[in-house]
Amino acid sequence: MKIVSLTRVGVLFILIGISTDAMSQIKHTISGTVTDVKSNETLIGVDVYLPELQKGTITNSYGFFSITIEEGVYDLTVQFLGYTSQSIPVQLDKNISLTIQLEEDTEQLEAVVITADKETNSIRSPQMSVNSLSSSTIKQIPAVLGEPDLVKAITFLPGVTNAGEGSSGFNVRGGSVDQNLILLDEAILYNSSHLFGLFSVFNPDAIKDLKLFKGGIPARYGGRLSSVLDIYQKDGNSKSHQFNGGIGLVSSKLLAEGPLKENLGSYLFAGRGTYAHLFLPLADNKNVAYFYDLNTKLSYQLGEKDNLLASGYFGRDVLSLEDSFRNVYGNAVFNLRWNHLFSEKLFSNLSLIYSDYYYGLRLDLIEFDWKSGIQNFNLKYDFKHYISNDLTLQFGLNSIYHSFNPGIIEPSTPDSSINYEELTKKFAFENALYLEASKNITEKLSINAGLRWSHFTRLGQTELNVYANGQAVLFNDVFQIYQKATPIGLQHYKKSDVLARFNNFEPRLSASYLINDLSSVKLSYNRMSQYLHLLSNTSSPTPLDVWTPSGPFIKPQLLDQYAIGYARQTVDALYSFEVEGYYKSIKNRIDYIDGANLVANNAIEQEILNGRARAYGFEVLVKKNQGRWNGWLAYTYSKSEQQTPGRNNLETGINDGKWYRTAYDKTHDFSAIGQFKYNKKWTFNTNFVVQTGQPVNYPNAQYEYNGLTIANYGERNSFRLPTYHRLDLSAILTPKKNINREWQGEWIFGIYNVYGRKNAVSIAFRDNYETGDNEAVKTSLFGMVPSVSYNFKF
Amino acid sequence: MTVLKYFFLLCGCVLISSCEEVIDLDVPSSEPRLVIEASLNWFEGTSGNSQEILLSLTAPYFDAAITPATGAEVKVFYSSGDVVLFEEIADTGRYRTDQFIPEIGANYILQIQYLGEIYEASEVMQSVSPIDFVMHEQTGGFSGDEIEIKAFYTDPIGLGNAYLFEFVEYNPDDLTIGVYEDQFIDGNQTFAYFADINIALGNQITINNYGLSKQAYDYLFLLSLQSSNPGGGPFSTQPATVRGNCINTTNPDNYPFGYFRLSQAHSVAYTIE
Repeated sequence: MKIVSLTRVGVLFILIGISTDAMSQIKHTISGTVTDVKSNETLIGVDVYLPELQKGTITNSYGFFSITIEEGVYDLTVQFLGYTSQSIPVQLDKNISLTIQLEEDTEQLEAVVITADKETNSIRSPQMSVNSLSSSTIKQIPAVLGEPDLVKAITFLPGVTNAGEGSSGFNVRGGSVDQNLILLDEAILYNSSHLFGLFSVFNPDAIKDLKLFKGGIPARYGGRLSSVLDIYQKDGNSKSHQFNGGIGLVSSKLLAEGPLKENLGSYLFAGRGTYAHLFLPLADNKNVAYFYDLNTKLSYQLGEKDNLLASGYFGRDVLSLEDSFRNVYGNAVFNLRWNHLFSEKLFSNLSLIYSDYYYGLRLDLIEFDWKSGIQNFNLKYDFKHYISNDLTLQFGLNSIYHSFNPGIIEPSTPDSSINYEELTKKFAFENALYLEASKNITEKLSINAGLRWSHFTRLGQTELNVYANGQAVLFNDVFQIYQKATPIGLQHYKKSDVLARFNNFEPRLSASYLINDLSSVKLSYNRMSQYLHLLSNTSSPTPLDVWTPSGPFIKPQLLDQYAIGYARQTVDALYSFEVEGYYKSIKNRIDYIDGANLVANNAIEQEILNGRARAYGFEVLVKKNQGRWNGWLAYTYSKSEQQTPGRNNLETGINDGKWYRTAYDKTHDFSAIGQFKYNKKWTFNTNFVVQTGQPVNYPNAQYEYNGLTIANYGERNSFRLPTYHRLDLSAILTPKKNINREWQGEWIFGIYNVYGRKNAVSIAFRDNYETGDNEAVKTSLFGMVPSVSYNFKF
Repeated sequence: MTVLKYFFLLCGCVLISSCEEVIDLDVPSSEPRLVIEASLNWFEGTSGNSQEILLSLTAPYFDAAITPATGAEVKVFYSSGDVVLFEEIADTGRYRTDQFIPEIGANYILQIQYLGEIYEASEVMQSVSPIDFVMHEQTGGFSGDEIEIKAFYTDPIGLGNAYLFEFVEYNPDDLTIGVYEDQFIDGNQTFAYFADINIALGNQITINNYGLSKQAYDYLFLLSLQSSNPGGGPFSTQPATVRGNCINTTNPDNYPFGYFRLSQAHSVAYTIE
């Protein structure tokens, strides 16, 4: 029996404030998990809704959903891209718990028709500035050397770029690479790239879901200013054993997953490695450059309300040149998670995480061995309370203990001339508490309001330099340059002492207003704080760069971001359109004095100055979501700059205290991604990018000194490299004999940079060895690079 | 520290699936500035009385030649107040004297009058550790097929020393410099390193070692970073206007480039055989 009139009254009461169970209408909860029928893999972001009420939710990061509504009979519609939708009749006269299993949609040739009265959650949701990519999309995007790359894939999204080929990491809305919070199964990763950005540390086969928040960052995330890249690994197939693998020209991978106990427990192991160094064209150089990584996951369902998960990641990059040089670095992460349902409305996740980033360098040339790293122990407890259909609360805590080893320098042979030195280890404790509420205030207005309180304690260390007036950097008025101050003393501390304490309240607010069923306007504001900084004075991070905590000489970075956007989709949800504008302002951005030497430096405070940064722009994204042809067009217009004024009227600051462009400022950035499913055998993919060239410095004079020709430069970053553009193509061949066969294979043929444009990576100025004349030399990395790889599963 | 330089050099090698092309560019130009190359070196075994100071002007980047700064008055003052005058050779921008008296640890002041403005600098003469011995290896260098040369010297402990090494090749004439400080090698015997694909068995090279003050080391380090720097690209540091220890007392905005350095020096001629 449908209680229609009472439903209307119920909505009225809900408008007033928090709905309570004291209403005369009896409410019950439908909750449960949505999984893939073939593997029991939980599905993230599935739309679960009731068309009659126009209300619903999406599954969380563990596939869980909960909806509380009045008694009645409903059709529960469950919908997820790439899967066949289901409509489940539900008689709601008590709390119901469901496990919904969806089937992958193999009929991919016709456009999927979506009923007209559906509003996809993305239009109504106050969450803006977020993009999701599925593992299958990532694997389709052609990449250099045929290796699908998650980080490269996200650079095709609006607002995301990088500092050029050969640079590691990525930049979101004008933020630097250390301002991205990269989470793999809730654990923090410090480096997202292998081999200078040529590959990413993520194995797309092991990844289930990826979300990139560029703004409107909810209160449950914190610690980095510019973005959150939240990645979840697959749990593993708990129904049958499966193998997935690929063999390519430069890398290969293998994944094994299967049940530990049928339908209850599963395992997943994936390994990947390159032999790229065998292909470096310099045949007479014994260069070695390779990486390998390992992803592991174990999951076990203890009971109806409890689920245990253990995940691990281990990756290493190895670079060596003959016997003169060996550089090894990489992330290692291990975490244990416990999902617990306190009730059908209260979901919780407890994570215990250990994360480690190591870098080591051995220079046999000068018999020098360096080891450095950062370790952290992290405890997170997150709750999601689905109070009513219109109100969800999320709250929790996050506690991290950091230990930094800036470097141990050792002689690598007994008769080396290097002295043993240990740079002072640093310790810190980072804590946060948050509360976030998602509320549908009216039929048209929804908000997500949150507050995060973060607290950072810099703990004592064995030695700390003391400077006159606390100034570690002096300005030499006579020579008009910044110089390192000499410490006047050394102070000793115990680990339990406190060197500095910082407290920050970070309000987060986003709202959406529904114009009609198909379009909405959104606004957001967030304040973020960042306590850890990657010290790097090169355009792009090198493996020698050190992560350092805030403390007596380094203040936390703070950001305010404002964004406004408009989202629209067509009636059949075939096309969607989003446009967003943003403005960010950052306080306490670190800048470096000229010639700052950050390597093996125990007194980094003598090389840094405090400045600020700002970035603004607008982004346009047009997507075709389904059909034989699909893909997207993304355009970003942006500006990203920084300024370090002098600390008083007598000082010049950096770049004469004027604003200057950051190294990754790209005014225009256009990407087009397309996929065409020609028939059951062939699928074609293409990417095309056009970007403004990166900022670069040109000399404004030359002079001779000590037999050398010296170039002199003026203002920073005032010129640009030539415009970057490139077209990539790939074709995927799925042989007919695959159907109904145990062994499924496919061939991927790709061409990176089809018309072989020699895009500039840098322009250097030097004197020609033979003629002695000065010349400008453009370096480019990749010409046309074909690739072929074979992927299989059984 | 040179670690950084080695690393960047390596990165250049690793990414050699790359391609280089000389291109035509328009670069901006700026007003000419005075460049002071006042390196007064007292080589062991000599009197150190003959010294030369070079004055030149900055020029647009793609110009083929450098203009000397002629008609200046160049003087060096001792701490006693006495002065030695450097005389210009014709119109070459080279100013010399045969009357300089070097003294390790003494303070000297340079004064130049050029185009009506006065430039000054002050420095202390630094001692140097002599080159103990030189050796070479035929399968050295980063790529294993270059001749590498190591010049060994012993650093005195605890003094905060720094060194400038010059490796001079002949036919064709080429000069390579390296700067070192004693942060990691304090008190030890260590070496200055040089490798070049163009040197061969039978060649003779000259190796010079000069003592540097901390400020001179910082100046030369910055200068060497800039000259080996790709302009742009992932590993470039921000290029800077490198200021030395010379100032323009008449008009501070019209500051000069270059440096006033006084060093004890040691030279070794080495034949690779």
